[in-house]
Amino acid sequence: MTTLRGFWRSKTKAAPAAETPRILNTTETAVIPPTALIPIDLDIAPNDPLLAYIRQNPAVFDAAQLKLDSPAVAAMRQAGVRLPLVSQGELIGLINLGQRLSDQEYSSDDYRLMNDLATQAAPALRIAQLVQQQKLEAVERERIAQELRVARLIQQTLLPQELPALAGWGVSSYYQPARAVVGDFYDFLYFPDGKVGFIVADVTDKGVPAALVMATTRTLLRAAAERLEAPGAVLARTNDVLVQEIPPKMFVTCFYAVLDPATGHLRYANAGHDVPYHHTGQGVVELRATGMPLGLMPGMAYDEKETTLAPGDYVLLYSDGLVEAHNPARGMFGFPRLQSLLSTHADGATLHHFLLAELAAFTGPAWEQEDDVTLVTMQREGAVNSEQLTVNSHPVEFEIPSAPGNERLAMARVAEVVGDLLPASRLEKLKTAVAEATMNAMEHGNLYDPDKPARLKVFVEEAPTSTGSVRVTITDQGGGKPLQPAATPDLEAKLAGEQSPRGWGLFLIQAMVDEMHVHQDDQHHTIELVMHLADDHA
Amino acid sequence: MSNNLITHVRKAADSVAVIDISGELNGYGEETLMEAYAVASNGRSQTIILNFSNLEYMNSSGIGLLVTLLIRVQRQKQRLLAYGLSAHYQQIFELTRLNEAIAIFDSEQAALTAVTTPA
Repeated sequence: MTTLRGFWRSKTKAAPAAETPRILNTTETAVIPPTALIPIDLDIAPNDPLLAYIRQNPAVFDAAQLKLDSPAVAAMRQAGVRLPLVSQGELIGLINLGQRLSDQEYSSDDYRLMNDLATQAAPALRIAQLVQQQKLEAVERERIAQELRVARLIQQTLLPQELPALAGWGVSSYYQPARAVVGDFYDFLYFPDGKVGFIVADVTDKGVPAALVMATTRTLLRAAAERLEAPGAVLARTNDVLVQEIPPKMFVTCFYAVLDPATGHLRYANAGHDVPYHHTGQGVVELRATGMPLGLMPGMAYDEKETTLAPGDYVLLYSDGLVEAHNPARGMFGFPRLQSLLSTHADGATLHHFLLAELAAFTGPAWEQEDDVTLVTMQREGAVNSEQLTVNSHPVEFEIPSAPGNERLAMARVAEVVGDLLPASRLEKLKTAVAEATMNAMEHGNLYDPDKPARLKVFVEEAPTSTGSVRVTITDQGGGKPLQPAATPDLEAKLAGEQSPRGWGLFLIQAMVDEMHVHQDDQHHTIELVMHLADDHA
Repeated sequence: MSNNLITHVRKAADSVAVIDISGELNGYGEETLMEAYAVASNGRSQTIILNFSNLEYMNSSGIGLLVTLLIRVQRQKQRLLAYGLSAHYQQIFELTRLNEAIAIFDSEQAALTAVTTPA
């Protein structure tokens, strides 16, 4: 029989896959030892007349007999190929036969045998080729999938796990990568003086290279921000280091702002990133500051600007995935549309939901996301009335079982929530007031019934007319009867036996806090304690 | 239980006893405080000094307790002094005007000096 010894791929790059010929170098093993086989490297040009001939005569042919002005056939003759071709209307491969052992011409029976063999071998060879091709594609798909996984992993490690919790501020973020691979990132930096840095950036690439540049940029920004206060200086420093590290043709656009939550003051600089919008009571304003993207060239300077967020104002940071989204008619979402949408929407907490709904309506349901979409919003809370106050603040709620001495648990929990918001001396006062009110609730309201806990809520909130306050409410389950009025206890009367030595509770509470309010219904008493954050009531 | 008050009585000078107070001064410490007062008065002390240096927590019931103590002290024609109060509790003494009946000092030495120096 014959032995198949090897495949030679055609170098005919332009030829479609089906026309890519392969050569089967065969011989009769009984005579010629395998070592004598000569590999044939055959180039067939796409315009070689052989290809047209084969399409018209899909059968075995003898290269030595074929009269065709074809470089490929000439090459076959030279290589001693007598009987090329396994074919099925397409040139799939060649069978290379040497001379007959008898040195006689191949007979018509031989040709019939060859044709039968070719008919059997062609589909088998074609299938083998397809299997091989699929294996290669599967490897490539797995490689790409693996790269996506790595990029996503890098991204997940880098994006902040938590939003800044700032008293009087609502911060929200939205991030949706395109094709599961990153280009955008955002970050929050926390400074010892209470200020918070906001970063939104976009790397001009996708996949692992972008993720790595993202990681580098994030580290450089953090390092620069630790040593330098001014946002412009931070970007300039980051740029100077990044430009040495970044692969050519890649760069990073980046907006960096530092917020002072206590005052609403915002300092910012921009390295070629989409200009953020500031929603004010008077309209929507662009936060413009000029500067080149990071990583393009060294020695760049970055404009530094500042603004102040009044209560109710918000600032939206975003990436081009939003503004450069297209609708089916290839229209772009665009900046003017975004700006006018923002002017209709004052609530930062629902802004992302609103914008994404608008984006979906614009692009239509068949939209395949073109680029990463990143949204980061910071809103200074601005309560207009008490109802809105409650909506805007997120109380910390807990229950204290009614048992003697448990008021100290309430003190500790409240102190934990309030933390540094109040100076130590005022925190002590609030703790004393909380202890007294909780004691009243457990003892007089709930009669130390273990099934009736005292309920506490701690609100930290911002009001439009002042810098904000801490509110604590303590609720018992002993409503119906009136709470003791805060009669001023008189020490002399007590010492003279005209008043009980006790009865200091409500008096003490009132003296400790800036405001005290009592609410009651059929089931409950609630004592509300208010401490202003500004130390003007000390 | 709820009484986390610990007292210790010692003689600081002729007819002067100090009650060292530590822990919590609340309504549940009445027995402990009154026992300490009885011990302190036993040596016919004319002056009782309360040492609040180790006071962790005092509530309105504790203030009521001090008023009760003050009534007894005044009946016995004794004097009640205090030192070691934190700024917070000093302020509460002022609000309740307890500081007008219980003289407050910065230190034990200052309190002793005031006692032994004729007014």
